[in-house]
Amino acid sequence: MNNLILILMLILPFAGGITLGCMKKASKPAADIIFTSVLALEAVLTLGYLFLPDAEIRLFSMTEQLTVRLKTDSVGRIFLSIGAFGFLPAGIYATKYMAHGERQTSFYSWMLLSLGALVGMDSSENLITMYLFFELATLLSVPLVLHDRTEESIRAALKYLFYSIGGAFLALLAVFVLGAHTETLAFAAGGTLNSSAAEHRVLIEIVTFLGVIGFGAKAGLYPLHGWLPSAHPVAPAPASAVLSAIIAKAGVLAITRLVFYIVGTEFLRGTWVQITWISLALLTVFMGSMMAYREDVFKKRLAYSSVSQISYILTGLFCMTSESIAGGFLHVIFHACIKSCLFLVAGSFIVNLGKTKVSELRGVGKAMPITLWSFTIAALGLIGIPPAAGFVSKWYLALGALDSGLKVINWLAPVILLVSALLTAAYLLPITIAGFFPGKDFVSPQRTNEGTARMWLPIAILGAMTLILGIFAGGLTNWVMNLAESLI
Amino acid sequence: MLYGLVFFPMIMSLPVWLIGKRHKKARNIAAAAVTLLELAMATALLWMPDMNASIGGVAGLGIRLETDGFRKVYLIVIAFLWSMTMLLGNEYFSHYETCNRYYFFNLMTLGATVGVFLAADLFTALIFFEIMSFTSYTWVIQEETDSAIKAANTYLAVAVIGGLAALMGIFLLQDQLHTTAISELYNAAKAAPEKGCLYIAGACILFGFGAKAGMFPLHIWLPKAHPVAPAPASALLSGLLTKSGIFGILVLSCNLFRNDPVWGSVILCLGLITMLLGALLALFSIDLKRTLACSSVSQIGFILTGIGMMGLLGAENALAARGTLLHMLNHSLFKLVLFMSAAVVYMNLHQLDLNDIRGFGRKKPLLMITFLLGAAGIGGVPLLNGYVSKTLLHESIVEFTEILHESGSPTFFMHAAEWIFLISGGITVAYMTKLFVALFVEKHPSRQAEFDARTKYMNPVSAFALLISAIALPALGVTANISMNAIADLGTDFFRAGALEHSVHYLSWENLRGGLISILIGAALYFGVVRTVLIRKKDGGSEYVNLWPAWLDLEELLYRPLLLKWLPGLLGPTAALFGQNRLTAPAANAVVKAGEKTAMLFGENQLTAPAAKAVVRAGEETAKLFGENRISGPAASALVRIQEIASHAFSDLLDAAVFLLRKIVFKKLIPPDADGERNTLSYRIGRSIDRIAVRQGTEKEGERRYANLFHRGTKTLKDTTRSISGTLSFALLFLVLAITAVFIYIIIMRG
Repeated sequence: MNNLILILMLILPFAGGITLGCMKKASKPAADIIFTSVLALEAVLTLGYLFLPDAEIRLFSMTEQLTVRLKTDSVGRIFLSIGAFGFLPAGIYATKYMAHGERQTSFYSWMLLSLGALVGMDSSENLITMYLFFELATLLSVPLVLHDRTEESIRAALKYLFYSIGGAFLALLAVFVLGAHTETLAFAAGGTLNSSAAEHRVLIEIVTFLGVIGFGAKAGLYPLHGWLPSAHPVAPAPASAVLSAIIAKAGVLAITRLVFYIVGTEFLRGTWVQITWISLALLTVFMGSMMAYREDVFKKRLAYSSVSQISYILTGLFCMTSESIAGGFLHVIFHACIKSCLFLVAGSFIVNLGKTKVSELRGVGKAMPITLWSFTIAALGLIGIPPAAGFVSKWYLALGALDSGLKVINWLAPVILLVSALLTAAYLLPITIAGFFPGKDFVSPQRTNEGTARMWLPIAILGAMTLILGIFAGGLTNWVMNLAESLI
Repeated sequence: MLYGLVFFPMIMSLPVWLIGKRHKKARNIAAAAVTLLELAMATALLWMPDMNASIGGVAGLGIRLETDGFRKVYLIVIAFLWSMTMLLGNEYFSHYETCNRYYFFNLMTLGATVGVFLAADLFTALIFFEIMSFTSYTWVIQEETDSAIKAANTYLAVAVIGGLAALMGIFLLQDQLHTTAISELYNAAKAAPEKGCLYIAGACILFGFGAKAGMFPLHIWLPKAHPVAPAPASALLSGLLTKSGIFGILVLSCNLFRNDPVWGSVILCLGLITMLLGALLALFSIDLKRTLACSSVSQIGFILTGIGMMGLLGAENALAARGTLLHMLNHSLFKLVLFMSAAVVYMNLHQLDLNDIRGFGRKKPLLMITFLLGAAGIGGVPLLNGYVSKTLLHESIVEFTEILHESGSPTFFMHAAEWIFLISGGITVAYMTKLFVALFVEKHPSRQAEFDARTKYMNPVSAFALLISAIALPALGVTANISMNAIADLGTDFFRAGALEHSVHYLSWENLRGGLISILIGAALYFGVVRTVLIRKKDGGSEYVNLWPAWLDLEELLYRPLLLKWLPGLLGPTAALFGQNRLTAPAANAVVKAGEKTAMLFGENQLTAPAAKAVVRAGEETAKLFGENRISGPAASALVRIQEIASHAFSDLLDAAVFLLRKIVFKKLIPPDADGERNTLSYRIGRSIDRIAVRQGTEKEGERRYANLFHRGTKTLKDTTRSISGTLSFALLFLVLAITAVFIYIIIMRG
């Protein structure tokens, strides 16, 4: 039963994507219906699957050692859920957002194909399988960036391709070398290094380091973060939402698998590798916020913000304490919810009001109250204001970092996280303030202009989720905490 | 019950808002009903045993609430203030267009404030504290004028920064003590191995809550926010929201740093400065609500002084603890009365400048009596409640002086503290007299007749609210030995106060003397300073002038440049060095030197030379008058530019490397745009199709439609292939670089 559901979850988006890809001439309503129903079905399947025991399936094997197998564990479930539940609102939104654009069906089909690749990646049993799906996810999501076919978007797409493939090659090196020094490349919490690993300690450290940097390209980790601020703003808003909220998280998953399931924390703790990773992540956190603060184009500001926020997650993972890892995973979920909401809001401003820059958004709350309210709640979540969701994850991230036992970093990390939170407030809240309180001389529009329910409802739901996830975070927190403790 | 107190107003805010969209009247009644019900619940709590409650899992750790005597008293105060302002607000807001949101956020804030005061651990306190900060933000910006927006931004910045600082402190506490429960802090701190870290945590939390309380040097938001907020909201901001900050400081002082003299003296010093500075600001101000706001800063200083004395007195802190509690309570009540009186003035005249509103109160006995009660109460006149709490605070200082004297320690500092206390009390009397005389004694030069004709200046509901609030002051003051002592007894548990050694005779000569000294100082100041210096003759009449130098504003002088110009850069240390030294004398020299260095750095560059010179000049000016604001401008913005560029350069390092590679290594990959392309297959095919087309007659001789079409297609194809192959080559390059690095490493290690 569970095997069947897992295989359905994998096949459904691919099948849907290919079907839509083949029916270019299909009428718009038909394409809309197929697209949303596939996403809805996928979400239902995922929801059902969360309550089932782990499935295990062997798809095929290239050689005796290189098998492509699927298996889901707790970490996989986190990423599976953000995938399915994150694509659904973005997809519903897209049916309205893309309504007037060209190549709508091909956009749908690439969305579904990307989702399929992500599902495969989330449920991979070993490093080889994950690597295959990782590359696949990259290639299938490039057309999302490319969608507008403007010169800027083509350039951004190529940049995305270059960074991701380049990063993946770095990671491939890690796969090769680690293949020789592990018992197996199947994931096992705590690592699978064999007895020869101790002899080649430095070699393994170097390739693991490079591997994380490579996978980090997807997650926007310095120094391979450059594609993110280029690619996200040029993609259509629903695509930016999933790129930033979900596809970029593929990098986080890959790093989690490499660090915690192949090499193991015991091997890495306290080494230069860990220190350098944390330093890079903290640098990214600060740099991203700083650049977001100085950026005027709304979607670009959000993209820089993603760079910063995903490195929050990585900081948590790299600190390697149970609390920090739990904080990281919580932030994976919360950031997915928040950033989807924010990008969809940015899209609504573009479609309904034609405004792309932050400086133009004065009085926007009068025209779009629901949208801006959702934005505000999501923004408070991203800053980490209780009881919105981001607060919970940042609480654990900071406590974990304080507990990490690394000199300097144990206090510097929380300080940087808080300074970055301050910058987050500085780049998000002015939008709310100018939007709701434009000043006495502002002439309020006669009617609100929120778009149809297909636009504001996903935004409102994501905004409300930010609050609900934060207020009722207890159960989730305990579950993630148990998971984090099993990893170290 | 406890959940009800917190969540009932929060939940009701939504229906009230929805009702308000249709019927203003119904909304007003509903909102007042909610607050009155809250008052009833809070009062009922007084007869119930202490309770606690918790909801697991909210915001991760779960929230925990509890009650004890002090909290019960304060809940009643909160609900009382809220009900009274709500009653008055109905008339105050009757002419507002967009006041519906005020009601929504007002009830949200009520729930959050109650939550802060019921919190059983710092985590819960912080959650409600943040909610309260954000919902009350809308009060400040309610009017949406330029000054309101600016004040609101200040308020928000203080709230966000303070909240994050407090959060950092709570992180540290949780990390060190593994608990934030208020009742466990004392024992956990005793067992903690590292005391130093606790002080850092304490300082962070003090920063956060002190900012809300209006403690120096974080008092900047109060004098800005109160005048622009609607007056009922000002009463709540001043009377209660500042107290939530005090609540946080009390939690630390009574538990984490119980009887800790170091902590006590720090709080005492901050309290004394806050007290004196606030009083001076109030004396100079000529805006009714601004004066009251500055007065709040000063009174918070009195309360902080009491908290500081609690730390210094150790186990014998009963006097200080009782004084602190009672002064908190009294100040809430004074500010309710005074701001509501100000509200009455404002809703009639829509002006607050003393020169515009003078004489308004003449022939309005009700307003005059209430205002007089508030003013006399805050001034510490005997038989009113303010006198009692000030006497207790004064007694505690005297007691500690005696203790020091007996043990032979120097008492100079405590004598100084006592005099600062008395002088601040005197200034309080002076500025309240100034307000009273301006409003009720003097005549307006031109509009007096109009003012006198306004006999219907408020509706009965407002009058009722005002009167009830004002009567509380003498009622408490006269029955001090019963009512106020009983209230103080209720607080013993929370304050961890020792037993009172002997009961205090409030009206004994010893105690009256302190009060009288303050009142005499006040009278001297009023006639010596206010009437001579702060009032100028003009056109036969006189007018109040604001002599407070405009540049002497901590926010414009220090915080705004620091936050908006210096900190955004990556070169934080340099910036901080600039910023922090500003207020000290040697700093001026340092600034000049730094300016010179900057000048040397920029000197060679023709473009930036003038800017650099400006920096030096500005630096020199600073040396002369080291408070002035101009030095930071050009230098800071130049630095920020540099930092921004550096930040971008840093970020685009890799892109730059790729770009460079394209220019150097991969240059040869791009073939020369040869004419030879014309000889390619596609061109030839195109030409032949063209020829066919000409023969068919669909195309004219000489045109090369298909040839060009094919040519373009081929070119696109080639470009794309080149881009992709280029991209892949870069990826391969990475792989090669990585492998090379590994091999080099292996060779070195083997060798």
